[in-house]
Amino acid sequence: MYRYDEFDHRFVNERVAEFRDQVERRLTGALNEAEFKPLRLMNGLYLQLHAYMLRVAVPYGTLDSRQMRMLAHIAETWDKGYGHFTTRQNIQFNWPRLKDVPDILEALASVEMHAIQTSGNCIRNITSDPYSGVAPEEIEDPRITAEMLRQWSSLHPEFTYLGRKFKFAVTGSEHDRAAIKVHDIGIQIIRNEAGEVGYRVLVGGGLGRTPMIGKELRAFLPKADLLPYVEAALRVYNLHGRRDNKYKARIKILVHETGIDEFRAQVEHEFATMDRAAVTAPEGEMERIAAYFAPPELATKPPAPVEFERMQKLDPDFAQWVERNTYAHRVPGYAAATISLKPIGGAPGDATAEQMRVMADLAETYSVDAMRVTHEQNIVLPHVAIGDLYKLYRGLASIGLDMPNKGLVTDIIACPGLDYCALATARSIPVAQAISNRFADNKRQREIGPLSIKISGCINACGHHHIGHIGILGLDKAGVESYQITLGGESTEDARLGDRTGPGFGYDEVPGVVEKIIDTYLDLREGQRETFFQTYRRVGMEPFKEALYATAD
Amino acid sequence: MAKEFNPVVVTANDLVEGDSVFLGAFGWVRDIAAARVALSEGEAKVLETAGNEGENGNLVVGPYLIEVSVTNGQPVPVLRREQIRASGLPTMPFGLDVPVERRAA
Amino acid sequence: MPQLIDRLGTAKDPWVTLGAEDVLPDSGAMIVPLERLAEALDAGLELGVHLPNDTDPAGLKPYFDRLSLISVGFPSFSDGRGFSIGHCLRQFGFQGRLRATGPVISDQFDYLLACGFDEVSLPDSIAERQPLEHWAATPGRISLGYQRGLAGRGSILDARRAASYAAGRG
Repeated sequence: MYRYDEFDHRFVNERVAEFRDQVERRLTGALNEAEFKPLRLMNGLYLQLHAYMLRVAVPYGTLDSRQMRMLAHIAETWDKGYGHFTTRQNIQFNWPRLKDVPDILEALASVEMHAIQTSGNCIRNITSDPYSGVAPEEIEDPRITAEMLRQWSSLHPEFTYLGRKFKFAVTGSEHDRAAIKVHDIGIQIIRNEAGEVGYRVLVGGGLGRTPMIGKELRAFLPKADLLPYVEAALRVYNLHGRRDNKYKARIKILVHETGIDEFRAQVEHEFATMDRAAVTAPEGEMERIAAYFAPPELATKPPAPVEFERMQKLDPDFAQWVERNTYAHRVPGYAAATISLKPIGGAPGDATAEQMRVMADLAETYSVDAMRVTHEQNIVLPHVAIGDLYKLYRGLASIGLDMPNKGLVTDIIACPGLDYCALATARSIPVAQAISNRFADNKRQREIGPLSIKISGCINACGHHHIGHIGILGLDKAGVESYQITLGGESTEDARLGDRTGPGFGYDEVPGVVEKIIDTYLDLREGQRETFFQTYRRVGMEPFKEALYATAD
Repeated sequence: MAKEFNPVVVTANDLVEGDSVFLGAFGWVRDIAAARVALSEGEAKVLETAGNEGENGNLVVGPYLIEVSVTNGQPVPVLRREQIRASGLPTMPFGLDVPVERRAA
Repeated sequence: MPQLIDRLGTAKDPWVTLGAEDVLPDSGAMIVPLERLAEALDAGLELGVHLPNDTDPAGLKPYFDRLSLISVGFPSFSDGRGFSIGHCLRQFGFQGRLRATGPVISDQFDYLLACGFDEVSLPDSIAERQPLEHWAATPGRISLGYQRGLAGRGSILDARRAASYAAGRG
């Protein structure tokens, strides 16, 4: 993974000192709240219902055991002993005190972490594929590009006061595990006909109030042009994006209202006339970064160790965990393992300090000290020898994180919702817990097969409900929580936005509604292997609508 | 007939702690039971001004009025959001209070 | 009386800002509203113009050699269009004085300088709450940034490359 050099260290340390000064000026009143707010947001500090919330950046989700242990230390020292992993591969602490935040940032800086630009109207965390450097079909590790973008976007003087937040995602494979089609700018690493590696650039994707699938901005961008090109796109957005209405201020609205062809023309014009050489990274910088992402030295291991086969036969839960939670590494004998942070009845994405420490130890021992946070709120250990999977699994079992449910009905994505978030209109975590409890049985989950449920507690869609196979959106209807259901969303290269079923349902009705939807699917599917998404695409909304709303009684 | 006035209290977040607080008789309190309740438009305006002083004095952030219903002399927020906020906690067990189902290592 | 701040500190503003209805004088240093620029070109003034931040800066290109100063409007500190406007004006070749006008905060000073601005004109209400020390302290608080191609500021990327040359790693 990327390691800070002296320049990166100084940059982050200066930022900590700057924020310490800003906090002091806030406490004395030299800065009022209106002035302090954008500054604290730039350092990832929100004010929520019950407390401040600090969102720590985990660049493209990558962290090592030393960093995970520091997160555990922060949780224990300055928070209530736990943290929450998010749909943008970051981690949130829900209970810090304002005057402790500079100390927390200092602790983070000591392990090459920070909370810079994790909120506010600026460029946010660059997210990527949790199987970076693992997926066999990957053209190039997307984290190299993500790191280049991260540095370029850090405290960019021109783009720090944008009209709204700006989110990038990068994928290195055709199979998109980074949801690039629903980001402000999505980047896919591709090869052109000459075999050169470059980028396909998408623009204007996003969820929230007006969800949109991104449109192609540039079919092929040579690698060397990356920084000038994104700069050109940001400049057009900064100059022309709407500022009159917070809900119309994202680049997706500008693209939609301008038209993609005209928008592209403006970006290409800026790109053609700007001083590109002044912005381009110096020669060798991309190679320097790439060296940090060189594949780890993995000792040769057998692809099907005898002990491994034996334990699968003896322990059916382990067998299911292998089937659901492991992914075949491009290096034979290895697998990427997903630690599900969705224990039955738990809050999706939460981990206690103890769990963080055990995960850190397991990563250090079994995964070359590497971990990734996924945008589905789980943790991936990318380089596990197959022969070590059982020991890893038992280690996870000791802290209750051995659920074999990756991609299954209880692998729910949920935003914090009305229990934490000042923007929320409804609770989301208890809904996730109720659904999880309803479908707790492992066998039943396997029977249902891949089915992603995503829950948002308000229209801002931080739970990504638009791209869930079943999406649940919690709204407030005359003081009562009302949950709208969408079906058939998808986040990959086949990205599509879910279709609304119809009128919403009450808080207590939701688990039963989900059950009805699943029962309808099980009735209609053509054979065991047709997934929920496939069935929905084949039969459409009608049968589900009927099941939900037909007044039989 | 005059429009009925709904009782209100002033709430905000403590600048340092970040938790929700209410304007009481002698300053900011954490328990809504001790909040000053305004029973008229005029009282509400007085309360609002006092709340803003709290922000100007760097004690609290973002004061605003919330409607309450007064039951047995206790103010209870009308909106669910404010009920949750006034409780100071999520509605379900969280963090270390969530049982961890350990299976033998 | 708005406060003028630049890299050297505060100054009395040598410019007078002409109101929309004011009579155009025949001498002096005047910042005129954009809609009166054509009128002012022949008036024998030392000329500045105020550009609202929703106006295309390219429209000023023909007047660069006539303009000693361009003032870019920042209606609120959170509206960052001016940063791109400043950058564009420099890219187009404007070499005169570039002023940011509006309620910006001292924490933005560094960014304004990096985007080609020379000075800031603040309304009094802001100036009271943000003493000069804050403004003076900001430039250089982040000693090097990651971005290349910024006015008067080196980049980490270049410093890194220079360091690796120096260390003989080439």
